[in-house]
Amino acid sequence: MNRTVKSEVNQSKNEPLIFEIKGNSLDDGPGIRTVVFFKGCPLSCVWCHNPESKRRERELSYDKKKCVGCDTCVGACPEKALDRGLPGFVNRERCSLCLKCAEVCPSGALSAVGNRMSVDEIVREIEKDVPFFENSGGGVTLSGGEPTLFMDFASRLAARLKKRGVSVLLETCGFFNCDTFMKMLYPHLDMIYFDIKLFDGAEHLRLCGRPNDVILANFAKLYRKYRQGGTEVLPRVPLIPDCTATEENLSAIADFLRKLGVKKIGLLQNNPLWFEKNEMLGRSTDIETGSMRAWIDREKMERIRSLFKGIEIV
Amino acid sequence: MNFTNILVKILLHLMAAIYSRIPSKRQYLKSADGWTNFCIGIRTENRSVMAAVRFNDGRVSVMGSIPEGVDSVLIFRDGKAVMEALNLPPNELVMFLTKGKLRIEGNFAYPNLFNYYVSVLLYKKHLGMQKKLIEEHERQKQADSMKGDSGPAPAEKSARHGALRAPARDRGVKYLSDPYLSGYSLSDFPRLKEFLDQHFTTKPEICPERALLMTRWFKENGFEKRADGTPWPPELRQAGAYKYMMEHRRPIIRKGDLVAGTSTTKDIGVILYPDAHGTMIWGELNNVPDRELNPYNISGDTKRVLHRDVFPYWTHRNFREWVREEYDNPLCQRIDERFAVYFLWKSVALSHTIADFPKLLRIGTKGYIGEIRREIAKTSASKRDKRTLLEAMILCLEGLAAYAKNLSKQAAAEAQSETDPVRKGELLRLAVICDRVPEGPCETLDEAVNAAWIGWVGLHMENTNAGLSLGRMDQWFQPYFAADMAKLKSAKKREEYIKKAIELVGCFYMRCTDHLPLVPDIGNYLFGGSSSDQAITLGGITPEGKDAVCDMTYLFLKVTEMLSIRDPNVNARFCPGVNSDAYLRRLCEVNLITTATPSLHNDKSVMSSLKEFAYDIKDLRNWSATGCVEPTLSGKHIGHTNCMMMNMVAALEMALNNGRHPLMNWKVGPETGAIESGSFRTFEEFYRAFTRQFQFLIDNSVELNNMLGKAHGYIRPTPLLSALIDGPMKKGLDVTRGGAKYNSSGSACIGLADITDSLMAVKKLVYDEKQVSLPEFKKAIDANYQGYPELHALVMSRVPRFGSGSEEALAMAGRVAKFAHDAYYAHKNYRGGRYTAGFWSMSNHVIFGNMTGALPSGRLTGKAFTPGLTPEPNASKNLLDNIRDVARLNPRHMNNNIAFNVKVVPSASDTHEKMVDTMHSYVKTYFGLGGMQMQMNVVSSAVLRDAMVHPELYRNLIVRISGYNAYFVTLNREMQIELIERAEYRV
Repeated sequence: MNRTVKSEVNQSKNEPLIFEIKGNSLDDGPGIRTVVFFKGCPLSCVWCHNPESKRRERELSYDKKKCVGCDTCVGACPEKALDRGLPGFVNRERCSLCLKCAEVCPSGALSAVGNRMSVDEIVREIEKDVPFFENSGGGVTLSGGEPTLFMDFASRLAARLKKRGVSVLLETCGFFNCDTFMKMLYPHLDMIYFDIKLFDGAEHLRLCGRPNDVILANFAKLYRKYRQGGTEVLPRVPLIPDCTATEENLSAIADFLRKLGVKKIGLLQNNPLWFEKNEMLGRSTDIETGSMRAWIDREKMERIRSLFKGIEIV
Repeated sequence: MNFTNILVKILLHLMAAIYSRIPSKRQYLKSADGWTNFCIGIRTENRSVMAAVRFNDGRVSVMGSIPEGVDSVLIFRDGKAVMEALNLPPNELVMFLTKGKLRIEGNFAYPNLFNYYVSVLLYKKHLGMQKKLIEEHERQKQADSMKGDSGPAPAEKSARHGALRAPARDRGVKYLSDPYLSGYSLSDFPRLKEFLDQHFTTKPEICPERALLMTRWFKENGFEKRADGTPWPPELRQAGAYKYMMEHRRPIIRKGDLVAGTSTTKDIGVILYPDAHGTMIWGELNNVPDRELNPYNISGDTKRVLHRDVFPYWTHRNFREWVREEYDNPLCQRIDERFAVYFLWKSVALSHTIADFPKLLRIGTKGYIGEIRREIAKTSASKRDKRTLLEAMILCLEGLAAYAKNLSKQAAAEAQSETDPVRKGELLRLAVICDRVPEGPCETLDEAVNAAWIGWVGLHMENTNAGLSLGRMDQWFQPYFAADMAKLKSAKKREEYIKKAIELVGCFYMRCTDHLPLVPDIGNYLFGGSSSDQAITLGGITPEGKDAVCDMTYLFLKVTEMLSIRDPNVNARFCPGVNSDAYLRRLCEVNLITTATPSLHNDKSVMSSLKEFAYDIKDLRNWSATGCVEPTLSGKHIGHTNCMMMNMVAALEMALNNGRHPLMNWKVGPETGAIESGSFRTFEEFYRAFTRQFQFLIDNSVELNNMLGKAHGYIRPTPLLSALIDGPMKKGLDVTRGGAKYNSSGSACIGLADITDSLMAVKKLVYDEKQVSLPEFKKAIDANYQGYPELHALVMSRVPRFGSGSEEALAMAGRVAKFAHDAYYAHKNYRGGRYTAGFWSMSNHVIFGNMTGALPSGRLTGKAFTPGLTPEPNASKNLLDNIRDVARLNPRHMNNNIAFNVKVVPSASDTHEKMVDTMHSYVKTYFGLGGMQMQMNVVSSAVLRDAMVHPELYRNLIVRISGYNAYFVTLNREMQIELIERAEYRV
C-alpha cells in the first residue's frame, strides 16, 4: 500500500461519505428540513430503509428500472464485472469500484453511492434552504447511517450550522460512546430522535447485528438529561411487521419508556420499498424477510397505538 | 379518378338530391330572410379529391371543380383523411383541424353550416358513432387509471370546512371576532347547499335570448346602415340594440335567491355571441347534447331559431370574417386558423378587464348619466364622434336600469302570490332593492350585491363571457358591510347579520355560475373545462399602500371554502411586510380545503413587473387579477390580458426545420438554416434561429390582434363598458378604440420549461460536451427517439433543467422570457398601448403539446407541455428547487403574470394544522424570494386516477389547470393525464 492510499484510508475513518443531501423533508423533525445522510452504520438491521447507508465505503448501485440496456457500461468495465446473466447485473466480487461504468451510463441506472464532502461544501449546499427553515421552524437533520460514527466531523458540521442560526436535529441509532458524544456533539444539538428497535437483547443482536444494552443505557441517560432541562429527546420505533411490530416487543418498549417518564413517542410506518433498494446494491440476507415487506394496515395500527397508552404518539 | 373522389361525389350528389327534392329537408335551406346561398369546396392537398357544392335559391348542385369566388374550402391532408372524415360526427371532424388532417380556407361559418346540413341527414348515425367513441374513451380511462404506483390508500380528504381559528385580527378587520369564521359550515346555509346541488346536477342549456333580441333589432334597424341608408356609427347602433335587448329580456328571479336577475333564461345557460364565435356551434346543433365533454341541452325551438333567424345574419358580421374581408385573408390569420402555433382570443372576446364597480355602486346609472350629460353640454357640436359615444353610453345605462326595474316588478308580482311569509319578505325586499339600484346609489350590502350582479349581467349582455372579471369585491363591498354593521348594536344581531352576509355573498357566487361560455367541441380540447373565469381578487393593499385585508376579505374566503366551486376564480393578493401571517395562513387553509383555490399573488412582485409602464402608483396598487391571473388596473385599464395564447415551442420546431412547421407541414417561417446541411456551428447560432422564428410568430400574432381589435371597434364597440371605465367619457373614444385611461394587450407564452430544457439539451450535449452531433440529435427527435434509447436516457439524466437549481438553466429560462418580453413590448397595439408577456397557459399546454413532435428536452411526440412555467417533473425531486428557480426569474420580463403549479399531497398522518403550516412556509418563502404567483393543487395522483373512472364520486373535485379552475371530471382524457403526471410533492 503506498502512502497516498494509506492516508486516504486513515482520513476516511474520520471523514464520512455523504450519500444524499435531501431538501424539503417533512418527516425528519419539525418544519421543512434538509437531511444530511452519512454513510456507515454500526448496526446492520435487516429491514434498514437506507441500505446504502450501512457501509462506510463507496458503493455501486444498479437500478434496473432506469436501465435502457445499451450495454455501454459492459464495454467500459475493466474488470468484466457486468454480466446480463447475473440477477443483479453486477458481479460484486469482481467489481473494484472504479465506477467507470457509472461515468458512461446514460440513464443513471448505474451510480456511485457516497460522496466525499467537506463541512464547507455541505454548509454551502444547505445555505439555499435556509429561508425555508426560517419560515417553517425547520432546520437540518443529521441522519444516515449513523452520524455519531463520525463524531468529530458531525460536531464540526453541527457547530457551523448552529453558528449560522440553523437548528440541528440528530437521528441516531443510539450506539455510541456516550462520554465522547456528550462532549463533542451534544452541545450543538437542538433535538435528538433516538431509535429504539427491539427490546430483547438477543433478538437485537440477531436482527441488528449488535446487542442493545449500550443503546438502552444511552437513551436512559439522555432522557434524564432532557428532563433536567437538556436537549429534547424523542424515542422512535420503526414498525416492521413480525419483527419490531410485535405486541411483545412494543409492550416491553412501552414499559421501558414509561418508567423513564417518557411523554411522547414517534412510530415509523414501514415502507416496503426498502427491499428494492437492497437489490440495487446487490445485498442479500440469510434471514427470512418476506413478511417484513408489507404495509401496516389501519386496523393493526390502531392496535399498536393502544399499546402505548399514556404516551402521546407524534 | 380515384375511388375516394368518386365516393365523395356520390355522397354529395345524394345529399344534393335529398335537399333539393324533399320538402321537409329543403326548408332547412331557407332562413327567415330567404334562401341561404353559398358554395363550399372540398379537396385534398394534392387535389386527388376535388368537388364543390353550391346552395343557390333552394337548389343544391355538385361540381367536379372548385369555382372562383367559393366561400370556403375544406382541404384534407390526403384521401385517407377524407375517408376517415366520412365516419365521424361533425364535432370530431372539427378536431381534424388540430391533427393537421384538415384546414379550412375562407369563411368559417359556412363549413359549420355545411356540417349542420350533413348532421340533419345523418344525425342518428352520428349519435351511434359518438356513443362508440365515448365507450372507447371509457375503456382507455379504465386502462389509464390502472397505471401508476401502488402505495398506501390515498389520504382521506381533510375536513371540508375550516378547522383553525385566526391567531390574530388584521387592522382592517373591524367586526369579526374570529376572522377565519371557523364556526360556520355549509350545513348552516341550506339555501346555498341547495344551489350547490343544482349546480352539480343541472345540465347547461344553450340560451338564444340575447342573440335573438339583438338580431331582431339589427334586422329592423340595420347593421351597416340605418333604414335611411346613412351609415351607422357603430357605438350608437350597438347601444340601440343593447337597450332594446335589456328592456325585453325576461326578468327572472331564481327560486329562493337573495340576488335578482339571471344571465340567461335557463337555470345554467350558455350565452351565444354570434358577432364573435357563435356560429362555430352551428354544425354541432344536433349533436351537442350527446357529445362527450361538456354537453349542452338545446331545445328544438332554439335550434330552429338559431338556424333560421340568427346565424344566417352573422355569417359575415363577426370579428374573424370582418378581418378576412377587410385585409384579404392575411397570412397572420391563416396561421391562426391552423390552431398549432397561436390562438387569438380576440376572435372571441375583448373582455379581460375590470369595470369600475365601486363607482357604479356609489353613484348608480343615474349619477353616470348626469355626468355624461354634463360632458355632452361641454362638448362642441363639431366633435360628433364623442357626442355619439356619449349618447350611446346613456342608452346603455338606461337599458341597464330598465332591466332592474323589470326585475323589481317581477319580484313584487311574485311576492303577491308567495305563500311562505319569509320568502314573501325576501321578494318584497328584492322589489325595493331593484327599484332603487343600480339606478341610484347603494346604501346597504344587499343593495350593493344586487347592483353589482345586475351590472355584471349587463356587461355580459354586451361583451363575451370570457374572462371579464369582477375585481376587488372585498374592498368594494366592505363600506356597505361596515355601514350595515354600524347600525346594529347587540352582539346577537351582529352575529345574525354576519351569517346573513355570508349567505348573500354565497348567493352572489352561485349567481356567477348561472352562465357558461359557448364552447364548440374543439374548445373542449383547446380550453377544456374552463368556465367564464370571472376572477375575484381579495386582500393586498389599498391605493394608499395600507393593509387592505378587511372583514369582507375573510367573508369571501369563507364562501370560497364552503362552496369550493371553479368559478368565480378566486385570486388572493399578499403584500409581504404589510399583510399579516394570519391572513396568509388562512389563504393556505382555504387552498387545502378546496384543493385548488385561491391562486396566490405576491403584490410586490406583480407591481414591480409593471414598472416600465409608469402607472400612477395609486392605480397600480389597485390592480386585480383578470380571467386567470393577469393584472389589470381596476376600473381604468383595457389590458386585454388574454388576447392570445402563443406556442413558443412551435418556434423551436420551426428552427429545427428551417422554418417549416412539422404538423402543419408548412414552410411558413423564415429560413434560418438547415440542420441536415451543417448549419449552426455554435449554440448561439442555433439560439438565434429560435429567436428569429419566435419573432416571426410574435410579429404575425400581433398583426392579427391589431386587425381583430379594429374589428371589435366596428362590429361590437361596448359603450356600457366604456361608461364604466375611466377615460372614454373624456377622450370620446370607446374602450375598443383606446378610450380607457390605460391600454395594453397581454399574451400568454406557453412552454417556457420545455423550451429551456430543450435549449439546454442542445447546448450541453451538442456544443459543450459534444456527446452527439446536431444532425444526429435531429434524427432522434424526428424518430420520436425510437431507436435512440441511449440518447433519450442521456437527455433525461444529464441535462440540467429549469427548476433543478441549475444556474445555467435558470439563466436560459430568463433569457427566453426576456426575449419574449422585449419582442412583445416593442409592439404597439391598435389602442396605442404596449404588449405584455405572460407565462401561463390555460389548458393550451395540453393541446399545443398534442400538436407537437418530440423535443430535444426528451419530451415525446404528442405529450403535453408543462403547465404555465411550471418546471418539468423530472427537473428535481426537491420542490424547493422548483420554488427557488421560479422565484428567481425577473418579474419585469413576465409582466402579464405567470402560473406556477405545485401539486402537493397530504400524508395520511399529517394533521390539518401541519399541512397548513407547511403550505404557508412554501408560499411565504417563495414570496420572500420574489416569486410572483403560485397555485397549489392539494390532491394525489391516486385520487385523480380514481376520479377518472368514478366521476360520479368526484363531481366537485376542482383542480387548477394553469390559471383557472376546472372540475376534474369534466376534462378531456389528455388533460386528466397531464394533471396526473404532474410532479407531486407531499405536504
